Amino acid sequence: MDQMGFRLLEVDLTSQKTRVLDVTEEMRTFVGGRSLGAKILWDRVPPKTDPLSGDNVVYVGLGPITGLLGSVTNISAKSPLTMLRGQSNLNGHFGMELIYAGYNAGILITGKSEKPVYLYIKDDQVEIRDASHLWGKSGLESQQILRKNLKKEIDDQNFRFMVISPAAENLVRNADVCHDFYHHAARLGMGTVLGSKKLKAIAVKGSKSPNYRHPDKVFELIRRVFHEARLYKAQHRRWGHSVSMSRRYHSTTEGVKNKQLGWDPMCDLFNPVLLEQQYKLWSDSCHGCLVGCKVPYFRREPPLGPHVGELRHDNAGGWSANAMIAGYELQTYLCSYVDHLGLDSEDVSGVVTWMMECYEKGLVTKEDLDGINLTWGNLEAICALLKKIAYREGIGNILADGLKIAPGKIGKGTERYAMTHKGVAISSYEPRGSLSDALELAGTPVGELHGGRGTPERIMYDSLTTCSFLRRTLSKIFGSAGGWGVPMLNAACGWDLTLEDWDKLTLRAATMERCYSMREGYVPERDDVLPKRFFKETIYSKYGEPRILKREEFLEERRRVYKSYGLQPNGTPSPDFLQELGLEFTIPMLEKSLEREKES
Amino acid sequence: MNDEQKRQSSGLTKASSSQGKEGWGMENLPFPEGVAYITTRWDLCIGCGACEVACSMAHYGVINRELSRIRIYRYLLPLPKSVQNVCSQCPERERECQKACPIDPPVIHYDEEVGHMVVDEDRCTGSACGQCREACPADVPRFYPPNHDFAMVCDLCEKEGERRPQCVEICPTQALEFMTPTFPQHLERIHPDEKAKCLGKRLYPLPKDRVIRLPEEIWGGE
Repeated sequence: MDQMGFRLLEVDLTSQKTRVLDVTEEMRTFVGGRSLGAKILWDRVPPKTDPLSGDNVVYVGLGPITGLLGSVTNISAKSPLTMLRGQSNLNGHFGMELIYAGYNAGILITGKSEKPVYLYIKDDQVEIRDASHLWGKSGLESQQILRKNLKKEIDDQNFRFMVISPAAENLVRNADVCHDFYHHAARLGMGTVLGSKKLKAIAVKGSKSPNYRHPDKVFELIRRVFHEARLYKAQHRRWGHSVSMSRRYHSTTEGVKNKQLGWDPMCDLFNPVLLEQQYKLWSDSCHGCLVGCKVPYFRREPPLGPHVGELRHDNAGGWSANAMIAGYELQTYLCSYVDHLGLDSEDVSGVVTWMMECYEKGLVTKEDLDGINLTWGNLEAICALLKKIAYREGIGNILADGLKIAPGKIGKGTERYAMTHKGVAISSYEPRGSLSDALELAGTPVGELHGGRGTPERIMYDSLTTCSFLRRTLSKIFGSAGGWGVPMLNAACGWDLTLEDWDKLTLRAATMERCYSMREGYVPERDDVLPKRFFKETIYSKYGEPRILKREEFLEERRRVYKSYGLQPNGTPSPDFLQELGLEFTIPMLEKSLEREKES
Repeated sequence: MNDEQKRQSSGLTKASSSQGKEGWGMENLPFPEGVAYITTRWDLCIGCGACEVACSMAHYGVINRELSRIRIYRYLLPLPKSVQNVCSQCPERERECQKACPIDPPVIHYDEEVGHMVVDEDRCTGSACGQCREACPADVPRFYPPNHDFAMVCDLCEKEGERRPQCVEICPTQALEFMTPTFPQHLERIHPDEKAKCLGKRLYPLPKDRVIRLPEEIWGGE
């Protein structure tokens, strides 16, 4: 059968050369996006590479069905925050534009430029251009400048951009990549890696046909989702994605006061009805998605106004009651400011709340914090500290290294209050309220990715790349994830997958990611754990119910989870399993790495 | 928790479904007779682009937004905002594209019989001319030189006398409606840039390249 071909644009920033690779085979084996990203890192980044060196690569990953139902762009690189596999998702319209430009397997960026550059892509025209006029500018400002310049150049309105902000330029380890202002690939320092490569932006515009193999079948599937899913997802179009926080506060699954409490009256200030009726402007969606869960707010009234932004569970959960922020009045400003600086809101909120608790307990003083009075909920103080972090000034220079490195540098017993998982902050989720949440979070081989983003099903969605917020809805309509994925992949690419193939692809995607992290020093048994606080300190729900994790139960359930992922009880894949998935090439390296970790 | 348990605990199994063609009932409203056009509600547009997909499928059987007669433009106000652009089937004396066509009789014209704008593709000289596009205040007529270098304008998905716009049917937010004009429909013929400017005014006094008043402007300091 006539199958779709896949083209990967490779850009070497050192030699300033570009070429196009045919990766049709690789896409068939690894699907794309997050899964292919792990394979590319395995092949292209030598073991133990410094993530900020020119040897690291950035894969701007697409999947075969990007943009057909949600448009996710998955960015992969070795993470400067965890030193393990790094990846993060960018929604919006960037991915689809790249497909229209003819690079349906994404972009691979290698090497390192000496001066700031940006990548210009218009169909077959690919250029590495000077970006010194953009360096130091915020994400939004850079995009507006590019928009204006490029429009003049070719009279076309619809360039799409991916840019980094000052925090990434200053190599803050949790800096993000921004698209269209409120779409961020924020986790695990993907922006930082681009910053180290001095790649300020990617501008893309396409006008080619995506050339799906059976468009009629593809369209039939899309139409079915659009018609049947309307009712299920209506709530997200109305309230946006921060709506889940209010539910989580009431089920003790959302962090309060850096995880010291299970509930505080402040939680009730985060009432989605107020956000909708007072601040909402309209709803906005990513390419091909019927939901429109981006619900931007606008605040006009001074002194904090005017400002605009978008609240989600991801960027607001770690602040809110976790930093004792008194309601939307202050919260919206904070989220806008974090976006302006270009930091990962979820991770940096964990860093700031960690400092807040240490300040409260007297472990760090006002002098340590360069005179900042970092009390709970103090907006002015938080903003001052954030600026120091983004520009690596004073104490910010230490905190900018994130929770894997900074606690050791500050010491004085502050380490135990750092709520971290493999070096990433656990800032919005409260694992004590739900054992399954706790396990999904702990078992993510790359570090906390906003809850259960490490399950094979989620990894598969990130590989496809379909928005995983639709996963429950799609399973409801089509019976299972494969019930949607198999016919869609077959229709779009002309493949002949079966449900068994799907299961194998899913496990391969999940296992490849685990293998790469293991090669870089991750030992599942040792690292798939949570901070001691969650096992030692009891918190209480709004209704007085105690919540704590029991270690034995946690470990037993963890073994069960590993088994469901096809792994051995210690969380490693068996050689037979790797062989079965076609990943036998990883075996020698993994054995070496496990031995090395044992010795150390 | 397996998938089934998860679905149950999330309460999704209890949700009512809108299977079949009923949906919200919107699609059962009788379509207009006589002069009719597609009206766009910019504030409701979420920018998903499903209308573009439906259009290129209905006309060419492919998924390619470049072949769509309705287009979504995306702006940074500085908030991302999408607005639609589609032919408003202007009344005769306002039909700038038809007036501008250098060919006699005009290649692009309104056909009373089928009730929509029509382009005679075999006579159209394509983007090299492009005068209809230039004349239209909203830049509506489109060309796709690679394999469709003729003016493309909305034909309300008319087939054998039956008009059934596919973009209207798929729009998840009812941001597109197929209706009889309640005012001269050319008043909707606004360039997307202008539409964006209008919506941008809702954000006054925020400048276009800033999302926020900086902390130092509020609390002082460097």
